[in-house]
Amino acid sequence: MKPLTPHESASKHVSGEAVYIDDMLVNEQLLVGRVVYSPHAHARIKSFDFSEAKKIPGVHAVLSHKDIPGHNQMGPVVKDEFCLAQEKVICIGQAMFLIAAETEELCLEAERKIKVEYEILEPILTIEKALEENSLLGPPRKMNRGNPDEALKKAPHVITGRLYTGAQEHWYLETQVCLCVPGEGKEINVFSSTQHPSETQSLIAEVLGIAKNEVVVEVRRMGGAFGGKETQGNHAACWAALLCWATKRPVKIRLFRDDDQRITGKRHRFLSRYEVGFDEEGKILAAKYELNSDGGCATDLSFAIMERAMLHVDNAYFVPNISVVGKVCKTNLPSNTAFRGFGGPQGMAVAETVVDRIARSLGKDSAEIRQKNFYGLDANNVTHYGETVENNRLFLIYDQLMKSSDYWNRRKDVEAFNAKNEFFKKGLAVTPVKFGISFTTTFLNQAGALVNVYKDGTILVNHGGTEMGQGLHTKMQQVAAAEFGVRLNRVKVNATNTSKVPNTSATAASAGADLNGMAVKNAVDILKGRIAEAVAQIFTEKNPNPPTKKEDVIFQDDMILDMMHPERKIAFADAMPLMQLRQVSLSATGYYKTPNIGWDKEKGWGRPFHYFAFGMCVSEVLVDVLTGLHTLLRTDILHDVGDSLNPGIDLGQVEGGYIQGVGWCTTEEIKWDDKGNLLTHSPDTYKIPSVQDIPKDFRVELLENVPNPNTIRRSKAVAEPPLMLALSTWLAIKNAVSAVVDHEIEPEFSLPATNEVIVLSVEDLKKRSIQKRAPEFSPAK
Amino acid sequence: MSNLNDSVSFVLDDKVVTEDFRNSALRPTTTVLNYLRSLPLHKGVKEGCAEGDCGACTVVLGELQPDGTLRYESVDSCLLFLPMIHGRQLITVENLKNDRGELHPVQQAMVETNGSQCGYCTPGFIMSLFSLYKNKNHPSREEIDDSLTGNLCRCTGYKPIIEAAATSCVHHGMDQFSRNEPQIASLLKSIPRESLQLQTGQQLYLRPAKLSEALSLIRLHPEAFVICGATDVALRVTKKHEILKEIIDISGVEELKLISDKPDVLSIGAGVSLSDAMGSLENNFPALYEMLNVFGSQQIRNVATFGGNLGTASPIGDTLPVLIAYNAKVVLSNSAKRREVSLDEFVVGYRKTARRPDELITAVVLPKMRNGSIVKSYKVSKRKDLDISTVSGGFRIDLNDRQVVENIKLAYGGMAETTKRALNVEKFFVGKPWKREVVEEAMQIFDGEFSPISDARAGAEFRTIAARNLLLKFWSETIS
Ligand SMILES: Cc1cc2nc3c(=O)[nH]c(=O)nc-3n(C[C@H](O)[C@H](O)[C@H](O)COP(=O)(O)OP(=O)(O)OC[C@H]3O[C@@H](n4cnc5c(N)ncnc54)[C@H](O)[C@@H]3O)c2cc1C
Ligand code: FES
Ligand code: FES
Repeated sequence: MKPLTPHESASKHVSGEAVYIDDMLVNEQLLVGRVVYSPHAHARIKSFDFSEAKKIPGVHAVLSHKDIPGHNQMGPVVKDEFCLAQEKVICIGQAMFLIAAETEELCLEAERKIKVEYEILEPILTIEKALEENSLLGPPRKMNRGNPDEALKKAPHVITGRLYTGAQEHWYLETQVCLCVPGEGKEINVFSSTQHPSETQSLIAEVLGIAKNEVVVEVRRMGGAFGGKETQGNHAACWAALLCWATKRPVKIRLFRDDDQRITGKRHRFLSRYEVGFDEEGKILAAKYELNSDGGCATDLSFAIMERAMLHVDNAYFVPNISVVGKVCKTNLPSNTAFRGFGGPQGMAVAETVVDRIARSLGKDSAEIRQKNFYGLDANNVTHYGETVENNRLFLIYDQLMKSSDYWNRRKDVEAFNAKNEFFKKGLAVTPVKFGISFTTTFLNQAGALVNVYKDGTILVNHGGTEMGQGLHTKMQQVAAAEFGVRLNRVKVNATNTSKVPNTSATAASAGADLNGMAVKNAVDILKGRIAEAVAQIFTEKNPNPPTKKEDVIFQDDMILDMMHPERKIAFADAMPLMQLRQVSLSATGYYKTPNIGWDKEKGWGRPFHYFAFGMCVSEVLVDVLTGLHTLLRTDILHDVGDSLNPGIDLGQVEGGYIQGVGWCTTEEIKWDDKGNLLTHSPDTYKIPSVQDIPKDFRVELLENVPNPNTIRRSKAVAEPPLMLALSTWLAIKNAVSAVVDHEIEPEFSLPATNEVIVLSVEDLKKRSIQKRAPEFSPAK
Repeated sequence: MSNLNDSVSFVLDDKVVTEDFRNSALRPTTTVLNYLRSLPLHKGVKEGCAEGDCGACTVVLGELQPDGTLRYESVDSCLLFLPMIHGRQLITVENLKNDRGELHPVQQAMVETNGSQCGYCTPGFIMSLFSLYKNKNHPSREEIDDSLTGNLCRCTGYKPIIEAAATSCVHHGMDQFSRNEPQIASLLKSIPRESLQLQTGQQLYLRPAKLSEALSLIRLHPEAFVICGATDVALRVTKKHEILKEIIDISGVEELKLISDKPDVLSIGAGVSLSDAMGSLENNFPALYEMLNVFGSQQIRNVATFGGNLGTASPIGDTLPVLIAYNAKVVLSNSAKRREVSLDEFVVGYRKTARRPDELITAVVLPKMRNGSIVKSYKVSKRKDLDISTVSGGFRIDLNDRQVVENIKLAYGGMAETTKRALNVEKFFVGKPWKREVVEEAMQIFDGEFSPISDARAGAEFRTIAARNLLLKFWSETIS
């Protein structure tokens, strides 16, 4: 499909003209900033001395926590994150000192001259150890419906197990970066790669001890973010601001790739336990889930992420009796953070493992078990937290996709292939996604916009959302143009700026277009009201009989006209100078908050989501069982985005999200050593998908004719949900592995399914199958 | 050295640019990436990793051919030292629009397919696409994938970029660069090709133009780092921030770039890029060809050399096991003489070789195979492409007509601190029939051969199992 409207920056991207923070031309006063971080996971700082470092000519500042003029705090929700370490360091990568110097080399030289004495303390580096020592970042969260204990007792079949899902590094192509330029007095201008400029502004004001109205944060675009710059973009910003404050010169901090990977948090790894009861048909009767995440050394967004994981542990399946417990472990690793899906993937991975296991244990196809357990259209349609699944598209998508992907015939082919081949196995799986759209912290569901029309008829849109590649600005440009009835190139979207639209929420939770689109529309509606009134007067002055009513004035095809008297019209651009003559304000702010949502976090009950996004994916893989090498043969996706605001952009989100999920499910493995050092700290050892890793046959469709009520132009959020479609790839690999023993034994499996996991799983299956066939030789338990 | 040149010249923005390192902030080891980014009008090129893994820094080099035409190759500018582009044309994303300000076909296609989201990877992709455009008309999917392997994109999932390649690379490489070629060629010809000697306060960078010079230089500067493609050595600068004091860059020595294909041996100069070598390997040395197919990325292979891969003597160097399997020899030369060392004897310890301090690797010699011998190569890595081997294998078997093993060589990478043969298993096989039962028996004794390590790439257990499984794989691929 050819996109009708390409990304608003596309021609700048392809010509290298798009300006990222590191590309900005700054005068020769610019200093390079560097953060010096802890080499120990847990240690007391006995003493430090940077007097030698300060003496180097060309080094302009070396700062410790003692030099912070305001509060030494940059925790976004809970104030438990020092900007610079104070008495202790609690993870490798924790910021300790800041350096500003004329060159990178001088920074490095200064860093080598800083002397620190530590007393090494015992670190906690695994979820298991944290649970053992009850090291948690807060009290466990709970949700419950029905009586799972009773129902489990009565269930004909019960399975129990545990699932480990790994961490994931964001690997945005542009590492964390911030440029601060001092203004007069206390003013500071901040150019930050942040998804949350308002929070960046707040935290800078806090560490500098100045008022928020002295701090302006601007974001033109980010070179990728994926949640990694929702809170952790703030860090480089606070550090650069402190150095700028101390030197009174522009300072830029851009993290080297390895430092970025070492310092910043990742997708939370989870260790989950499940106990699930089901009947002969595979219908789930009861489930008890325990989700344990590794929050790292500070809270960050870990509780909201755990909450979303708990809210998605059902995925698309109705579970009548259920309890969910969520614990966020405190460990000595960098604080983990938002990552596309925000706990959803970790929750859904459990749900999908359970359904897959039920199918294997009953000897049935997992597609059948999935469909049997889908939320119903009229009955069995209330989630475990009390929200009714409205506009349920699961069956619609399932029917279309199973047909278009030719699932059942391909299942036969896969089985035939597996029967013939010993060293290669194929696997096939379908998995659904049902993803709740809204921030679960209800008040965050608000947005603002500022729309200016200029006398030449051009329009400048400011809104609170940030552009990280997802095409938000393009969509906002389209919304403003469509609402004003003008051609697209009349509208420009400004860099996001806290002095234009204040007090915004992060661009996150896939809600950027939903929230900001409505705010833009609101501003445009206000302006149109004012313009319509003035234009009605103008028309009436020319033709008093009958007068033009302002309600009849419409905006279309770059014109403003009276729909009752279409001959009364004026070009949009011609009307604007008249507005100024008639003293009509051509600037308006818009505002939006999501209606009808709200929920009780304590009880775990209510309506957290405005609506659900749905999608489904069929994946087929080929696995080399001797080496664990796997190839994605074919992927079919059908995804629901309502009436798409921009099909080209939305397809890009679906494809890109899926592939990012494939990375999480297959090759992206994060390892630490027993001291808490990140071993996979560069792309040399941390492997995100390359062009060779995408499905050989990759078919992606958007569900047609499914307008979404009560959203901007009947669209749906798209950014996060597709990531979880990749669970089908993971389960297809598991399906291929279990084919080694004719699906008779449940494989040991974790996520990601690296070649190592695959080969070890196959070895284990082979051993267990020998034991199973000859029980008398099995070692006594 | 005669006719010394103390500055570096290349063509950028259709002009000859000369950089002299004495009075500037530049050093001889300033990378082309950092050089470009220091200019106000070349900030399109991006740094994503500074280690050759992401391709955000991709630029294209135009190189004058003997017939007066130009050859265009994509390279990672983050791993290239500025003097390495002496005498070449440096093409960046800013150069691609034509005089009328219109986008190049590859740029236009990327706009139309929605090939960019955040756009940070895009300039690098554009340059890889541009190189593809110049080199392949109507490329196949494999060719497209291969040309884009060295570029990571975290946003798009690659599908639209593949489509952009397929729809735009259809004009036989014609564009303003083709029209401008004679003019650029004459600019390039005007740049003298003598040896370079670049001296700054801290560094001495020598770039001899002749082998004899190179050989005398290494005698004079025994402490110097020898570089050819620098894809290994550059990491010391870009990742470890080392300041290399003395460098001898042999990438300008034409004598090392020769390939000689004789009826019974193929000899590849140590300075031949892996990309150039591949052409002569496909028919006679398919297992080596296959290995190079999954070696790094096109950007890496366009500069990396055999000399460099052997020079590192890395236990995970991918060419070593296969070269051992092919009974290859390394040619070592000093000013006085030339000797051949069999690959088996070349690596003597962890990153140690039989090369003497005054010698250079000048070529690799591959004897052509007789009938009945089979060589296969295997690379087990987390990601199929652009990844370093977890385990690699180069295996050779000679069977007699009764399918009995006469000779077998099982060389492994990643299993010890050097490339290492499974000698006991080899011994076990000789004289036995090439049958599954025998192979499975051999797998029983395999575990005693190696004690690999656990590291960021994989655990020791996996390494052992995968290495052992490769025997079965080899067997299954060699039975008739
Ligand atoms: C992104 C990336 C991917 C890579 N992928 C792979 C891979 O898949 N497989 C693999 O095996 N390697 C890989 N490498 C490592 C490296 O590219 C190879 O080892 C390459 O062959 C080195 O060649 P070079 O010419 O660039 O070496 P250089 O960096 O120039 O030199 C490497 C070493 O060899 C010595 N040397 C070079 N030439 C000579 C000579 N003629 N005589 C004596 N000594 C010499 C140098 O002194 C130095 O010690 C990769 C590297 C990067 C950055
Ligand atoms: S910056 Fe990543 S390859 Fe050069
Ligand atoms: S478009 Fe963002 S990394 Fe490729």
